[in-house]
Parts: sequence; structure tokens; C-alpha cells
Amino acid sequence: MITLENVLFKWHAKQPEPTINIPELDIDQGEHVFLHGPSGCGKSTLLSLLAGVTVPTQGNIVLLGKAINQLSNSKRDRFRADHIGYIFQNFNLLPYLSPIENVTLGCQFSKQRQNNALKNSATIAAEASRLLTALGLNDALQHQAVAQLSIGQQQRVAAARAFIGSPEIIIADEPTSALDTQNRQAFVKLLFEQASAANSTLIFVSHDETLQTLFTRSISLVELQGGTDATH
Amino acid sequence: MLLIKLATKSLLNRKASALLTLFTIAISVMLLMSIERVRVDAKSSFSNTISGTDLIVGARTGDIQLLLSSVFRIGHANNGVSWKSYQFISEQRGVKWAIPMSLGDSHKGLAVLGTNKDYFEHYRVAKKQPLSFLQGHEFNHLFEVVLGAEVANTLGYQLGDEVVIAHGMGNTSFHNHDDNPFKVVGILKPTGTPVDKTLHIPLAAIDAIHGSHAHQHEPAQADANDHDHDHDHDHDHDHDHDQHDDVDLVGTPKQITAFLLGFDSPLYTLQVRRNINQYKDEALLAIMPGVTLRELWEMLSIVEKILLLFSIVVVLISLLGMLTSLLSSLNQRRRELAILRSVGARPWHIFTLISVESLLITGLGCIVGTALFYALMLLGADYLQSHAGISLNIALLSSYELMLLAAIMVAGFIVGLIPATRAYFYSLADGMSIKI
Repeated sequence: MITLENVLFKWHAKQPEPTINIPELDIDQGEHVFLHGPSGCGKSTLLSLLAGVTVPTQGNIVLLGKAINQLSNSKRDRFRADHIGYIFQNFNLLPYLSPIENVTLGCQFSKQRQNNALKNSATIAAEASRLLTALGLNDALQHQAVAQLSIGQQQRVAAARAFIGSPEIIIADEPTSALDTQNRQAFVKLLFEQASAANSTLIFVSHDETLQTLFTRSISLVELQGGTDATH
Repeated sequence: MLLIKLATKSLLNRKASALLTLFTIAISVMLLMSIERVRVDAKSSFSNTISGTDLIVGARTGDIQLLLSSVFRIGHANNGVSWKSYQFISEQRGVKWAIPMSLGDSHKGLAVLGTNKDYFEHYRVAKKQPLSFLQGHEFNHLFEVVLGAEVANTLGYQLGDEVVIAHGMGNTSFHNHDDNPFKVVGILKPTGTPVDKTLHIPLAAIDAIHGSHAHQHEPAQADANDHDHDHDHDHDHDHDHDQHDDVDLVGTPKQITAFLLGFDSPLYTLQVRRNINQYKDEALLAIMPGVTLRELWEMLSIVEKILLLFSIVVVLISLLGMLTSLLSSLNQRRRELAILRSVGARPWHIFTLISVESLLITGLGCIVGTALFYALMLLGADYLQSHAGISLNIALLSSYELMLLAAIMVAGFIVGLIPATRAYFYSLADGMSIKI
């Protein structure tokens, strides 16, 4: 499902140590993976590689049976639009769109995800509303200006955007770091529910190891990195 | 469609700076369009002033000075043409018609022209359009006056009214005589030329108004700066005018200011012009109005080009303002671009998004600017007509003006490519990791 083979990544050729050096990684379909490591160990870089925004200097990244590093830039962009939902750390939403519009944006660059969304609801807006309700945002909140939502509510909108159209892979980059402890657990549980419902693979990145126990699998990026001093 | 929607909403989210940029562009568009419209209309007003006249003849002076004084009523001729010369030349072979013109008197600041009936028949404006009457008819008696459209309009005169003609130019003429009232018998249709601002009276009446008060005038002296005194040259009055019966509207004045000539064939023009310029008995000058109009316009074209240059610079500055505001907003929007990338937007989507924004601002700026331009034209048309004699054409946009707008749009698009390219590279380089 997700396979990394001898992946090396350097920002520029003269960099002495690679930022990413992962000899091997396999993640199965539907797994909920907790990926942790201290700041600066290359988490964001790894996520950019997994999302196909950057390509490895060496090695292969195989997603859903496709080596995405061998695709052209535009095909990689399309692959991401079709198969990957991404949740940022914070400031996840476009302030000038309503929560519903923010969610539907998630499938507007992909015909496939639009079609998936329409299997669940009559329109993509209705599907967005359904997801938001499932994530605990009531109707009134769904039509409020984004800036009036709390951080926790904003993160749920962002989660709904990642889930709309049932992409196979959900990548969450420290989505709980702006939330308080209680909300973190609740948010992670909501993510699990939705990921299971869509049978999506969830890659959850955090340096907060208290969340680790909730996941079926936990990966330390420091241990993953072969031969790299990842402590700084 | 999605990108246009996103661009619009994103702009609305930054209303204050977007509106400011838009208005800067709108005002610069208004300025450019207004200057161009006034320039084009001034040029056509200008070249429409006189047509169908082959030669204008006056005392020897500069070509342009003669044109200005005889046709535009600007400045005045210091010397006149003797009646003898006028008669001699107008009887030459090939001369179809001759119109004597005697200027120098005024009514409430508007020029009074003494002429003959041929004026109404042969004087042409624009593309050989004859003068036509809105009301009434040409003068048939000595103390009758035909008004230009604007004279009637601004002073509120109607047929049958009596007007008093003052001696000299300007509102505050020294001699203002109530004893020579002229009866309004005709009002001309508007022409957009100085004719509109002229009162036309029979040539003989000019001498009549001067003649009846000859005793008040100082002896003739050559003081070129004094309107009143210039005319004293004419006033060695032969009082035999008074004995003319009313039907003689021309009389035999000593001098006239200038005269217009029309020939049977334009082929005579150059020949007669040469003869007049070499005329031995009197220093005369004959000009071809079309040629001199063009010379005059060329003299003014430097001013015209500077104006055009300035308005283009203003447009460029406003587009640079847009560039500044788009570029400075871009840094704050890197997060926005990353979110779009994360949902599958490709770098060219980002590029298009920013380009659409600049096009929207420029496009709306052009629309608002055009609206402001029409508002300005509606407000300023009367003023320009009465103060500069330029009749503004408040018509739809000409193809030239549409081309100007298109040029501004293209320039706005090109300027917008700079932030768009920058956003494109941001979105490539930033990937998913943006720290704000």
C-alpha cells in the first residue's frame, strides 16, 4: 500500500547528510500509523515526499502500487488530488470560504473524489455537510465564517476536507498541536472513525507521544532513519 | 470557474487593499480616456471649423495669426484689407464667391461679424456642411442680426428680440449705444465651431454703428493693444452710408478685416494665392485654411503628446501599485497557496489564480474608470464647449478607446505575471511545509 525503498532526500546536492534516509518502510491499507520524532528530524520533509510534492533524490516511493517519484509533476499533482487527504498543523482553512466551501474544495481538483463523494450524498455540498455533522459541527457552525470558529472546530473542518471523496491515504501533520489535551483525544478518535468508515490509511505525525497508545502502530522516525543523526 | 471564484473571494477577503488598487487604476483609466477623448475631439472640432473655403485673405501677417483672427476670432488683425483690393480680387477670373468679413465689435463679449448674404450660402463647416437655420432666416435689412446657436442659448435671445452691438471687443466696451438696436431675425443651428458664438450682421451695419458716433472717437492712432482705437482706422466715416437704402447690406466700407474666397475650380487656388501674396497695391496674405489648420495643429501637437505621455505614465504607476499590493500580499498568502496545493491544485492553477486576480482588478478598474470617464464628460462637456469651443462627443467608446482599454488590460495582465510567476515558484518550493 505505502512502500518506501532506499529513499534518500537532500535539499541540494552538496548537503553532506541526507535529510531523509529510509532504507525500508511498509504500511498496509487501512492502518492507523503514529509517526513520531523530535522537531527537525525530517518529519515535514517525509510528509512532502509522501504527498508527492517533492521527489526523493534516490529510491522509490510506491503508493497504491504506483512509484510516484517516477510520475511527471502534473501526474503527481493529480495523484495527490485523487488519493491523498492532507491535514495541516494549523491555519488549515481558507479564510474567505465558508466551512462547507472549504470542505468541498477537497474534491474540486479531482473528478474521482467528486464521484466518490456523490456516492454518499446527492451533491458535494451535502456530502461536506454530512462529514461536518459526523465530525461534530452542527448546521449553524457549518455556515459561520471560518474566523469565528475555534481552533478545534477549524481542525474538524480541515479533517472533513481531507476525508471528502474518500481518499485512500490521509496524512495529518501534527493536527492536534494547537488543541488542548482533552480535545486531542476526541479529535484523534473522530479521525479514526472516519478513516475506518472509508477504509483509509491514516498517517498521523506528532511529537506528542501520549497519543501513541491510541494507534495500532507506531513508528519512530529517528529509528527509521538509517545512519542519520536525527537529534537535531 | 473554480479559480475565478477563488480569486474573487480571495480579493473580497482583502477588500481594502484590493479596492484601493482598483480605484487607483480606475482613476488613471479615467484620466487617460478623458485626455484622449478631449484630444481627439479637439482635433476634429478644430479641423471642422472651416471647410469649402479655398482661400482666406487678410492683411499681411502670419498664416496662423490670420487664421486665428478670421476663423477662430482669437486675437485680432491689426490691419485690414482695403475695400478696393477686395473688390478687385473678388472680380478675378475663377472666383465663384467672395465673403467679406469685418470683425472687431462685440456683444456681451461675443464676436460680431459684419458680412454679406453669401456667408450663409457658402460658408461650410465640418465636411462641407452649410450653415442652416434653426429658426428664422438670414438678414434682409440693415439692423437685423443672425445669431449663432450658442449666442441665442446662453443669452436667451429669441426671434424678434432687440440686441445692442457695442463697439470694440470684450464685455466692458467703452461705447455701448442703445440707439442702434438690432432685431434678431435668424438663429443658426449649432455647428460646434466659433460660428455658434458669433452675431452676424450686414457689413454695412458695421459702418453704420461706428458712423453714427464718430465724434466720440479719438483721432486714429496706432496703438495695437487697444481694441477700441484699432477700429478708429475705419472711421474716417463717409456718411453716405446713411443714405443707402436698406437693401444694400454691403455698402462700401473703407476696410474689412478679411475675406473668404471660393473658386470655380480648386485649380485656381494656387495661382490666385500667389497673385494675392504678390499684390502690389497692398500687403496682403492669402492662406489655404486646410493647410494652415494642419500647421496650427502640429504646433499644438507637442502639448498633446506630453499630455498623452503623462496619462500613460499615470496608468503605469497605477499598475505598479497593483504589482506592489499583489506582491506584498503574496507572502501572507503562502499558507493559502499550500492549502490549495494540498487539495491537488497544480502550480499552474496557482499561477492562473494570481493572474486572474490581477485581471479582475485591472478589468474592474477599466470598467469603473470608463464609468468615471463618462461622468466627467457629462459634467465637463458644457464647460469645454463654452470655454474652449471643443464640442465633446459623448458617444459610445470608439475603437481607438477600446484599443486603449485593451492595452491597459494587456499591461495589467503582464504586470500580474510577475506575482503569478513568483507564486508558482513558491508553490513548487514550499511544498507542504510552510512556516508563517
